[in-house]
Amino acid sequence: MIPALRSAPSPTARRIEWLRVVMMFLLLMSWAMYPIDLLIVGHWLDSFESLIPFILTIPGLFFTVWVFFIDRSTTWVRTGFIATMWAAIFVGFLGGYYHWVWNMNDVDGVRWYWSYAMSEFHGYRPVLAAMAYSYMGITGLASIYRAR
Amino acid sequence: MFERWMNATTEEQKLLTFLQLFFLLFTAFGFFYFGVEHWVIDHWLDSFQSRIPFYTAVIGLPLTLAMFFTTHRAVRWPYTIFMAVTIGVGLIGALFHLWYNAADYGSSIFTISGFIEGFTEPYRPVLAALAHVNVGAVGIVVGLTIEDA
Repeated sequence: MIPALRSAPSPTARRIEWLRVVMMFLLLMSWAMYPIDLLIVGHWLDSFESLIPFILTIPGLFFTVWVFFIDRSTTWVRTGFIATMWAAIFVGFLGGYYHWVWNMNDVDGVRWYWSYAMSEFHGYRPVLAAMAYSYMGITGLASIYRAR
Repeated sequence: MFERWMNATTEEQKLLTFLQLFFLLFTAFGFFYFGVEHWVIDHWLDSFQSRIPFYTAVIGLPLTLAMFFTTHRAVRWPYTIFMAVTIGVGLIGALFHLWYNAADYGSSIFTISGFIEGFTEPYRPVLAALAHVNVGAVGIVVGLTIEDA
């Protein structure tokens, strides 16, 4: 993204690249900060599923740094970045769903009636916070859309 | 923005206005959603500062929605300036969450242990407040990249 911004041939192209650079910077900050935050809040546990956000951070940070600073045209980089962003979208929604279900399991089992479900929506495990990964994935896909 | 998108003549202009529309939608959704979310989690209290996120949403959402229909300077500049304000609200909000958390434990954020305690024992989530910085940053870059008609 940075090389593309530096070599943008027209004012319109430069504006496009500025949009992408800012979005990718926000994405980069998210990949860097969320694992630290998750570590601080004690998300690293014995279970495999608690490690998923940390595992996803490895390709997420790697491909975002590569696309942001170095190159966004090479096929394997683009494919890896796009696949990771789709994985982030998927992990975010799935994480939100499971946080919700586990909150319910801790209390009185899974029951989908309004007051109970909403109460557990704001339970021990934050549902919306998990979906930040979906937001990051969408931002990444929008940033690389038609960018070669 | 809709009009700019429909009137775009070159591939570059189409792509620019498409991305601007896309991120404007993010901003609008952010303001709407954070307003509802703060209401649901009972952020509306007697204190003035607890109501700041609502005031931000009440001003930010109409300005953002207006941008979908006109990018006239009379709308664009207030919108862009307000996005900068939103970034400030997010940063100051996170700082005050940290401060109040530490104060609950009788510590100061100017000590390492107080800072960590305020961050890790969060009755008030520190990073959640920074979500306003994200919304403001996405919004401001849309405002600043709009070409003069």
